[in-house]
Amino acid sequence: MKLTEDDLYRRSSQYKHWCFTPSKLALLRQKTNIQASERVKANVARQRAQRAKNLDTTSASDSERANTPGVENGADGASGNGGAVGDKEVDCLTVAEEMRLVDKFCETALELGNFIKVPAEVTATTIQYLRRFYLYNSPMTYEGQNIARATMFIACKTEGWHIPSSDYAAKFANVTQEQVLAPEHLIIQALRFNLEVRHPFRGLKGAHVELGEMVKGTYVPLEWDKRTGTQIQSEILKLPKRAGGAPMNLSESDFRKRLEYDYGVASNILKTSAQLTDTYFHYTPSQIMLAAHLLADEPLTLFLLATKVPPPSPIYSKTVDTIRACAAKLSSHRSYTDSSTSLEDKEARDKKEKAEVLAIIKKLRQCRDPDKMDLVKLNEAHKRDAVHDGELDERKAKRRRLDRENAQKEADEFWGPELPKNGAK
Amino acid sequence: MAVSPVLSPKPNPPGTKATTNASKAKALAILNHSRSVSSPIAPSAATTPGDGGQDLAEQMNDEVRRQFVSGSRLGEGTYAIVYRGHFRSDPSKLVAIKKMKLNAEFKDGITLDSIREMRHLCELDHPNIIKLYAVFTTKDQNISLVLEHLPRGDLEGLWKDHSIMYGGADIKSWSNMLCQAVWFCHESRVLHRDIKGNNLLIAADNTLKLADFGLARGFADPGRPMTSNVITRFYRPPELLLGSQHYGGCVDIWSTACVIAELALRDFFLPSETDLAQLSVITDVFGIPTETDWPGISSLRHWEVNFKSAAPKRPQPLSFWRQRLPLLGDDGIDLLRGMMAMDPAKRLSAEQVLKHAYWTNYPRPTKKEDLPRQGDGEKKMGEDLKRAGGELESGRTDKVARKLNFG
Ligand SMILES: Nc1ncnc2c1ncn2[C@@H]1O[C@H](COP(=O)(O)OP(=O)(O)OP(=O)(O)O)[C@@H](O)[C@H]1O
Ligand SMILES: [Mg+2]
Repeated sequence: MKLTEDDLYRRSSQYKHWCFTPSKLALLRQKTNIQASERVKANVARQRAQRAKNLDTTSASDSERANTPGVENGADGASGNGGAVGDKEVDCLTVAEEMRLVDKFCETALELGNFIKVPAEVTATTIQYLRRFYLYNSPMTYEGQNIARATMFIACKTEGWHIPSSDYAAKFANVTQEQVLAPEHLIIQALRFNLEVRHPFRGLKGAHVELGEMVKGTYVPLEWDKRTGTQIQSEILKLPKRAGGAPMNLSESDFRKRLEYDYGVASNILKTSAQLTDTYFHYTPSQIMLAAHLLADEPLTLFLLATKVPPPSPIYSKTVDTIRACAAKLSSHRSYTDSSTSLEDKEARDKKEKAEVLAIIKKLRQCRDPDKMDLVKLNEAHKRDAVHDGELDERKAKRRRLDRENAQKEADEFWGPELPKNGAK
Repeated sequence: MAVSPVLSPKPNPPGTKATTNASKAKALAILNHSRSVSSPIAPSAATTPGDGGQDLAEQMNDEVRRQFVSGSRLGEGTYAIVYRGHFRSDPSKLVAIKKMKLNAEFKDGITLDSIREMRHLCELDHPNIIKLYAVFTTKDQNISLVLEHLPRGDLEGLWKDHSIMYGGADIKSWSNMLCQAVWFCHESRVLHRDIKGNNLLIAADNTLKLADFGLARGFADPGRPMTSNVITRFYRPPELLLGSQHYGGCVDIWSTACVIAELALRDFFLPSETDLAQLSVITDVFGIPTETDWPGISSLRHWEVNFKSAAPKRPQPLSFWRQRLPLLGDDGIDLLRGMMAMDPAKRLSAEQVLKHAYWTNYPRPTKKEDLPRQGDGEKKMGEDLKRAGGELESGRTDKVARKLNFG
């Protein structure tokens, strides 16, 4: 009368709604990208046409013009000639570029979590929410800054770390309560109201405890496993340090140090590359946990696995394959370092990444959906229930201009050295 | 690590074989089984600017919303108004649409109640737990939960209705359904934290369903404190009254036992006027535990004011139980006392509860279809509304617990 982790996982919304084969995931992202691009193009075209109309009557102010993506650089060279306006297609982000940005948003959320000092689970939930949100939304439509902050606020609520929104907003420079709350419905809708995220952290703790018992000789094997606790103990103490290495014979206390070290490494992987890659969309929490542990200590992880599934069984080899594939995904992320990565390599890699992301952000500035810049106003409009996007009248559009410019400025700051005021840890 | 973490399925989602049912369908959430959805890449309204500027998520939300037709009002609680409704595709398939109220006092967006209820009901699928079919938002940003329609009132209404006669076998049947629900919550690592008669609703086929997950939360990691201000007072276990912030499923077990006793008594088992009085009502029955009875009790936050210099009290003998709860029988009393061990560490777990001999001993629990039931569910609900005025009676003055901001 016990439900296994598997039983529970299979009933979870994560399994039912948030697991995809790689091709399905790619398809979904492509769809989102196409829709967002077309909308950006349509909205920009509409704005341009509107402006052209204005030019016929009065002349548009400079700032009004600066408001239309693609115009800042004089890209359409439309001075005074209504007919030429809107000739140039907006150059939208590709799916790959969008994903680079989403990864950047997630990394920022990681910093955000450290900054406001929430537990790793809250940060991890935030990041998974973000990854889910951006399956159905493009960074061209909703830029990461406000969304990441609002998402973390939601994650605090769902994970039982609720902070009043006024206090939460006060942790950041120039952020209002309204900005934190405005995108809430937008986000929760894209999350399909599935608020539970199943993480691998608890599984890792469980594995750590169990390995400790094996080392102590107190572990009770599963029924099919005919070894005694003492036999398992003596086997585990002989395990080589790395795959293919010579057998060792560590003392119990030395082995305990090895366990602690492995736990630290695996835990770090779960907090970083497991969050910053698509692993949650493709693997179960226990697979992710074992994959991280495999990267930390392969012989020990395979030993652990062999106490769960008999190695001759086809399930064993299948599981090993799955875990290895997951481990490959984890170790492919930039944040992953092992002993062979030099500090210089890592710095070079980070620098390259930063330059590339900056280039995408620059591109993003030309292709943002002009109707979705100011989420606070958008939310108010929503609440008034009257305004459909695309029908904002001129007067409102003008009123929104300043806000939008502010939003853009803030967005730029977001990518600066930043994090919030009183940034001292 | 539980039994077999590694046997976890490779999570190819259900329905992967269906080629037309691509990603969008999957995302269409909880109940879109019957609809066929075009391939996500194929040109559709969704991919052209003619979508009225709607996001994909908004479109999906609208699609979910359109699957239901909302009708007359069924009832109103503190946090929600509940409407009758049905599936558009099948008007005979009834639902209850629970439209969460916007809470003017709560300045932090979507209320914690709604968040908790959504979070946990999305995950819990069990015959004795109210089913959440779908969630959607309306234009005015109200969250609506589409729930299973449960027209036969609640368990508190049932024992209060003296036109209904029932006996020990019926109590066993209802209690068992309740205990299964609690077991499933705990196996799923969810604490309900508000188990009581009027959160136990009854379906048209007499199945009892645990509802109202507005105070629920996941099991906490060891060491992480939780609020002790949960569970309606009559049903609140001693450790919470003593201020314990580290607890587990045992708090729900206590409440569950209170409900079972209530059914047998046809009255509240441990009613009181204040939190302080609640503790003395409890100790009148169970005595005041010493450090030997309950190791660690003296380090609980409110132990000193309550118990340090209190005159000793002895627990009531078996004869008291036999006399008060004859409908339960000796085995039922044994179960109840196991579920109400003062020391939470000694209290039965949900699993142990289900293994108790009471369930298999004579009399056998009544078959669901033979259970006594309240006549006209809907009319009854109207009475419930009137009853809502006399909240004191059901110990529901504890709304404060709900308003707490922490978990
Ligand atoms: N699934 C359902 N099927 C049929 N009727 C329901 C259902 N859920 C609730 N109701 C009716 O709607 C009323 C309000 O329900 P709700 O759960 O919001 O509040 P409550 O539990 O009565 O009060 P409170 O909010 O104070 O806990 C209930 O009293 C009940 O009569
Ligand atoms: Mg209720």
